[in-house]
Amino acid sequence: MPRITQGAFSFLPDLSDDQISAQIQYALDQGWAVSLEHTDDPHPRNTYWDMWGTPMFDLKDAAGVMGELKACRTANPESYIRLSAFDSTRGWETVRLAFMVHRPEQEAKFRLERTEGPGRVQHYSVVRA
Amino acid sequence: MTSVTSLAPPASGSAPQGAITDVKKRYAAGVLKYAQMGYWDGDYEPKETDLLAVFRITPQEGVDPVEAAAAVAGESSTATWTVVWTDRLTACDSYRGKAYRVEPVPGQPGQYFVYIAYDLILFEEGSIANLTASIIGNVFSFKPLKAARLEDMRLPVAYVKTFKGPPTGIVVERERLGCFGRPLLGATIKPKLGLSGKNYGRVVYEGLRGGLDFTKDDENINSQPFMHWRDRFLYCMEGVNLAMARTGEVKGHYLNVTAGTMEEMYRRAEFAKELGSVIVMVDLVIGWTAIQSMAEWARANDMILHMHRAGHGTYTRQKSHGVSFRVIAKWLRLAGVDHLHAGTAVGKLEGDPMTVQGYYNICRERVNQQDLPRGLFFEQDWADIRRVMPVASGGIHAGQMHQLIDLFGDDVVLQFGGGTIGHPMGIEAGAIANRVALETMVLARNEGRDILSEGPEILQAAAKWCKPLEAALHTWGSVTFDYTSTDTSDFVPTASVA
Amino acid sequence: MTIGTIETGQAVPVATPTSDPTDGRIDLKALYHETQIDAVLAELDAALIGLKPVKRRIREIAAYLLVDKARRLHGLSAKPPTLHMAFTGNPGTGKTTVALRMASILHRLGYVRKGHLVSVTRDDLVGQYIGHTAPKTKEVLKRAMGGVLFIDEAYYLYRPENEKDYGQEAIEILLQVMENQRDDLVVILAGYGDRMETFFSANPGFRSRITHHIDFPDYEDAELVAIAESLAAAEGYCFDDGARAALAEYVTARRRRPSFANARSMRNAFDRARLRQAMRLFEADSPVDHEALRTITAAEIRASRVFSD
Repeated sequence: MPRITQGAFSFLPDLSDDQISAQIQYALDQGWAVSLEHTDDPHPRNTYWDMWGTPMFDLKDAAGVMGELKACRTANPESYIRLSAFDSTRGWETVRLAFMVHRPEQEAKFRLERTEGPGRVQHYSVVRA
Repeated sequence: MTSVTSLAPPASGSAPQGAITDVKKRYAAGVLKYAQMGYWDGDYEPKETDLLAVFRITPQEGVDPVEAAAAVAGESSTATWTVVWTDRLTACDSYRGKAYRVEPVPGQPGQYFVYIAYDLILFEEGSIANLTASIIGNVFSFKPLKAARLEDMRLPVAYVKTFKGPPTGIVVERERLGCFGRPLLGATIKPKLGLSGKNYGRVVYEGLRGGLDFTKDDENINSQPFMHWRDRFLYCMEGVNLAMARTGEVKGHYLNVTAGTMEEMYRRAEFAKELGSVIVMVDLVIGWTAIQSMAEWARANDMILHMHRAGHGTYTRQKSHGVSFRVIAKWLRLAGVDHLHAGTAVGKLEGDPMTVQGYYNICRERVNQQDLPRGLFFEQDWADIRRVMPVASGGIHAGQMHQLIDLFGDDVVLQFGGGTIGHPMGIEAGAIANRVALETMVLARNEGRDILSEGPEILQAAAKWCKPLEAALHTWGSVTFDYTSTDTSDFVPTASVA
Repeated sequence: MTIGTIETGQAVPVATPTSDPTDGRIDLKALYHETQIDAVLAELDAALIGLKPVKRRIREIAAYLLVDKARRLHGLSAKPPTLHMAFTGNPGTGKTTVALRMASILHRLGYVRKGHLVSVTRDDLVGQYIGHTAPKTKEVLKRAMGGVLFIDEAYYLYRPENEKDYGQEAIEILLQVMENQRDDLVVILAGYGDRMETFFSANPGFRSRITHHIDFPDYEDAELVAIAESLAAAEGYCFDDGARAALAEYVTARRRRPSFANARSMRNAFDRARLRQAMRLFEADSPVDHEALRTITAAEIRASRVFSD
């Protein structure tokens, strides 16, 4: 079954909550702030998913994030949810780990649209199938 | 008149032949020792703005190492073989390179590390061509030395700031790809030569659909009779875009734009841009000026610039003569490349693990600390220019995933060419095997498992539910390239990975 | 914000009991040493003067947790024990300090995963407008997960005189988490004994969820003098004989005045005495020696307002 394979662990069987919790704990132990985002449009160029609250700063233990994840899943059962861990150290100041933590029953599908140009050039758009 | 090579060795390593300060004697026509001309100053304290270089030299028999050091300093800065009165028209003291330290290489009789400081005024801003013409222009052919190797350089912040550095860098590359927390995965299209554009694009598509982030042209894929460049670009981009639609991930193919002229390279790069490629590639052999021009172009066009270090082995591999790859890596970070092949340690190509880690640190750290076991002779502050993504490529396979991640961490492109395309179940299966091995290993490491010792078990466990990985481990699991490296640290016993 | 997170969770061996597989015997003393609880208790003894009954209660709780651990290994009890606590006593009686040690003990025995202490008051939990309280309380709870949440003067959460007080919302969230996430955090409520009693009567949910009450008595006069001396010693000062005598009188008098706060009052008294000593040395206008620099005299104590009425 085709699936959206964004994120660090999409080629593995869906992670259990214990596995997710272990990854969160790893991120917190690096001093990264964890956040949740959800969307019904996982287009590869869709950068800005909807934030589920602000990034969770100063947490020590994964249990706090897991509580928010449960709430986010309940509110958005038919969405993609991704978990990101943000590193604010100088020179990084970016996400250092991101992976899917929830998928809809029916995965999104995309197809390629082509526009003919001169000299056999093709212009491509990835659009929802 | 004396000549350099006839000088008798001194009794000790201290500076026996001080600079001649009496102007009449100093500028009398004829030949002086380099040290007497002022190229040796054992008391010199390098300034923060000096460029520092450390050379490994092997003087000819009978040549005093201090005089040889002074000669290297002289020949890489202002000196000529004889005294010239026109020096006196200049503030010539500033222009002399100053050898300030000579020490024997541990365990290598006859070899010396020579430290030289160069004043900032010697160098044109933002020009690797000028830097290299100065530092390695003359001195490597200098007769009194049997051999010389530029081991490392400290580039002062004042000089670093005259370069723009990588156009994209690790952080922005990842943000454009939307991929965080795992190494990127790539493959070089094989066979290197002979595939038509259409057949070549098929390999690109299969690999990317299977889970690779990037596929890659090889260094000598340009525009040969079997596949002209436009054809290759068109078919590759068809494969890239189709794979993006199938997987929902941003993907790319390093389109090699290396060509005979700058004009032609720009033409090819523009076409890659027109087709929506996120990345282009050049070979190291195009030369420093062309590299800096392509970096400018990449910056102006939001393009990742992939550097294949083709040809470097001719001058980096032998320890006694040439230029260390760590210096090449520093120059390339300044010149502005985003990807740089920096070795695998475990694959088929030269590279001792710690030495290779030294190259990775040069690519990726904000500030390199001095780290002699990894071959870093100096602290190097990169003045916040972006980080280069190192690429590990050449004879690596899924069965080594734990070693690769342990050695290099997450910020690296792991390129399995044969290890993807040679998979018994097909190219897509080869890509799946690699991606599953990669994700499994990152997951396990983050869970706190000791992947170096448990790696093989972790892979076997994943192979139970992933047939392509099982086949990959079965095919290549026992392949190793355990040869002793030639370019190793002088400060630790040589290790090999097996 | 008074919110603060204090690290106590150093890397320590978390309880993996030494058991003999042949007869299933567990060596409690060995477990006690392995988890370094003895070290924590010894530190507590050394760090805190007096507090005998408190120290005794902590020892009891530690023993109880150790045995509970062993019982669960033998399948004698299944559910993790409820560990929420109430620390009652007047200000300055060592409640926060003890809470910090308690977090460390709970961590070493594996009852909390991280062992940090998040210390808050009403203002950190309760918001100013509708919809503000729940996110605030949840934010604090998220930070406290894996450790101990210490709520000082917890009774301020409950304001019966205002039925729309947002404190009630915080209370409900707290009760829910205390019940459902016993593995994830331990809550310690602290404050004056009598007011805590009133609070528990009005909020029986808390009483039923709290299993350990520790009462922190006021310090004896002699203990307070000793506390002042140890505070001074820690900063390179000492009291001469006259000062020590004055301090004893000071303690008796200070206790009768309002806002007496046990150890905290001693900290304040020492800080003021130190200023007066500096002034005395400065105004004497003569060279000072090592001894003079470290000595606090009776004059510095007796200058206190406590003696002026």
